[in-house]
Formats: sequence, C-alpha cells, structure tokens
Amino acid sequence: MKRSWVLSIIAINLIALIALVFVFPHLMISPGPVIPAHAEIATDCFACHRQLRGASPDRCQTCHVVNDIGIHTTKGITIPKDKPTVAFHQQLLEQNCVACHSDHVGPKLTQHSRKPFSHALIKMDVRNHCTSCHAKPKNNFHQQIQSDCQQCHSVNQWQPSTFHHDPFFLLDGDHNAACATCHVDNDLSHYTCFGCHEHTPANIRTEHAEEGIHNIDNCVQCHRSADDKESEAREGGEGDDD
Amino acid sequence: MLSREVLPFYASLAALALLSLAFDALLHIVDRVWIGRYLGIAGTLLIIFSFGYSLRKRRLIKSGTTVRWLRLHEHLAWAGALLILVHAGIHFNAILGWLAVWAMLINVGSGLTGKYLLERARKRLETERQMLRDEGLTAEQLEERLYLDSLTFDVVKQWRSVHFPITLAFAVLALAHIISIFIFWGWK
Repeated sequence: MKRSWVLSIIAINLIALIALVFVFPHLMISPGPVIPAHAEIATDCFACHRQLRGASPDRCQTCHVVNDIGIHTTKGITIPKDKPTVAFHQQLLEQNCVACHSDHVGPKLTQHSRKPFSHALIKMDVRNHCTSCHAKPKNNFHQQIQSDCQQCHSVNQWQPSTFHHDPFFLLDGDHNAACATCHVDNDLSHYTCFGCHEHTPANIRTEHAEEGIHNIDNCVQCHRSADDKESEAREGGEGDDD
Repeated sequence: MLSREVLPFYASLAALALLSLAFDALLHIVDRVWIGRYLGIAGTLLIIFSFGYSLRKRRLIKSGTTVRWLRLHEHLAWAGALLILVHAGIHFNAILGWLAVWAMLINVGSGLTGKYLLERARKRLETERQMLRDEGLTAEQLEERLYLDSLTFDVVKQWRSVHFPITLAFAVLALAHIISIFIFWGWK
C-alpha cells in the first residue's frame, strides 16, 4: 500500500514534468536561450528544427531569403546602412546557415560547432575580387593602386601584408623607423630621407656636390640600404637602374 | 565498522565526484569538449547493461550467478554514472537534462546505501550462523537474534521499495532527455 503511494506520487510528478516539456520547451530541453532577435519563436522549436534532422537551413531560409540578407529585414524593410551593402551571403558556395550560425549561443558545445569565417566559403569568381566586399584603404598609396590586392595581402589576414620593403630600401638598424618618418602623412606613394635629423638637405647637398650629384631627392636610386659600400658599388657599377 | 562499511560508502561517492570533475577538466584543457557528448551514449549503455542484474534476479535470464550479476550491476552503474556526469559537465542548460542527472545521482546514492545495508545484513547473518554452529544458544537468545535478523532484512526490503521508484524516475527522465535529443539534434 505504502509502496503504491510512493509510486503514484512519483508517477504524477513525472507526468507533470513531461507536460512541462511541451509547455516550456525553451526551458526544459533547449540547450540555451535563442538570440534576442528570435525571442518570438523561442517556444517553437520546429521553426528551425526538423524532426530527427536537427536545425535545417531550409527552415532558416523560409524567413531569411538569401537574396535579401543584409539588404532587407525578414519583414521586408530595407536595412539602412552608412556604407554600401556587400553581397556576401549571396556569394557563398553552399547555403548552409547552421555551418556558421547557431541560435543557442550559450553552451560551449554549440560555440565549438560553429565554423569561423573563411574566404574558402566564397565562390571563386568573387573570392579573387576583394573590392566586391572590402573597401580600399583611403590613404594615397592604396587609392592609386589598381592591381590585385593579393599581390601584397593574403586572404588569411590583411596585416602584416606580404609586401616586402627590402628590395626598395632595407629597413635595418636606425632605418627601422615608423612609416611616417619617410612617408609623410602616410602617403606611401612618396618618400623623403629628410624626415630625420641625420639627413638634412644642406649636408647631403654638400656631400653629394663633391661627387657631381645634384639630384638629392631620390636617394634610393643609389642607396638601397644604409650600407655605404653597397651604394658605392651601385654608383660605380650599375649606375641608374630606375 | 567505520573503515569497513561507512568509509567505502563515502569513498565511492567522493571518487565519483572527483573523477568526473577531473575528466571534465581534462576535456576542457585539451579542448575536446565534444567527446563528452558521446560519453552520454556510452554511460547509458553501461547502465542499461547493469540492469541485467534485475533480469537475473527475476529469472528472466539464466546465465551467471545472482551475486556476480549484483557486483556487475554495482560496477557498471557506477562507471556509467561517471561517464554521464562528464557528459553533463557543470553546465546549466536544459532543465530536463539536469533533472535526469539529479535523479541519477540520487539513484547512485540509493544504490550505495543498498549495498551498505545488504553487506551489513549478510555479515550479521553470517555471524548468527557461526554462533548457531559453534555455540549452544538458549531459546530466548535465539529468538532475540532472529528478531534482529528479521529487522535487518526488513530494512533491505524497505530500501528496495524506495530504490525502485527512484530508478523509475531516473529512467523516465533520462528517456525523455534522450528522445528530445533524437528529435532535435542533427545526427550528421
């Protein structure tokens, strides 16, 4: 008799708990709260999940039309932006939303299952056309460059660039200075060697006049490093090479 | 009694807690938290297999002795609980999963209590038999001993009536958790 009472109480509690699963699924079985923008569908698990299949990109795309992502909201309102909208999601090789996004952002497991952004996810023709997504830096140097960004930068990281300064001028010793010392106002298309106290137009002019050199503005024409012997060899052997 | 009966009881619980914390910490340190997800499956299988004892006791299976199945039940259920604790981790996510874990812990505590009670009953019975064999007892003494024995067995019997509903609660909650995972998880 006593045992049947215990069993009955436990059974009633279990039935109540199972009922709560259906009433409050976002608390009882969800691995964490959904993102605030999805608060409206927090109790409707099947808005995103398919039975036995997990979260499905098809269900995401019933609200998030791929062609509208970043341009219009799911309610059709145009998204105001300061900068021109970049067509990014539209250019992905595979429209698998859950490969990168998770609605339950709290648990470490769902954090780990998300892939970081990779340029390899983008279609080939867009992948090599950097300015379709990235704006050019606004400094003078980059504004005048028309060639492929990947000559100096990789898709793994923008900085440091793969550009090598050494063939133009070796930045060693005292010459390992801030860019603006030589490239005034960060204008990388021009340089001057008179940005530091060591080289002044007066002393350079005097020194070079003895050698019959009067153009003292384009130093790297002869000096590709601070090594005097190297520059003498250049003057004596190759002459002007620019 | 303290070193032979009480300490092993607490040592089993403490080892379960410490080992699960250590394994969980290890998975986090080596950044392999995902392994914990699958330890839940392994732990569940161990616990299911440990129920062989209940089947043997009810003569639904014939192989092996009941005592051997009892030892297997104790060890497999303990190991299964360890894997499931690592699987659960110290995360406060879904309530249903947490309820299942707490039901399992209560179940483990209940199981260890039963082991302790059964061991005491067995030892008492052994002592009584030995005394009956070696010493001549008066009827009054014998009655007293038998009365104590019956009390001991009553405690075990009462414990069984508690252990079963706890196990039932654990089984239902764990099953609900497993079904919800099967429904919502993407097995890819």
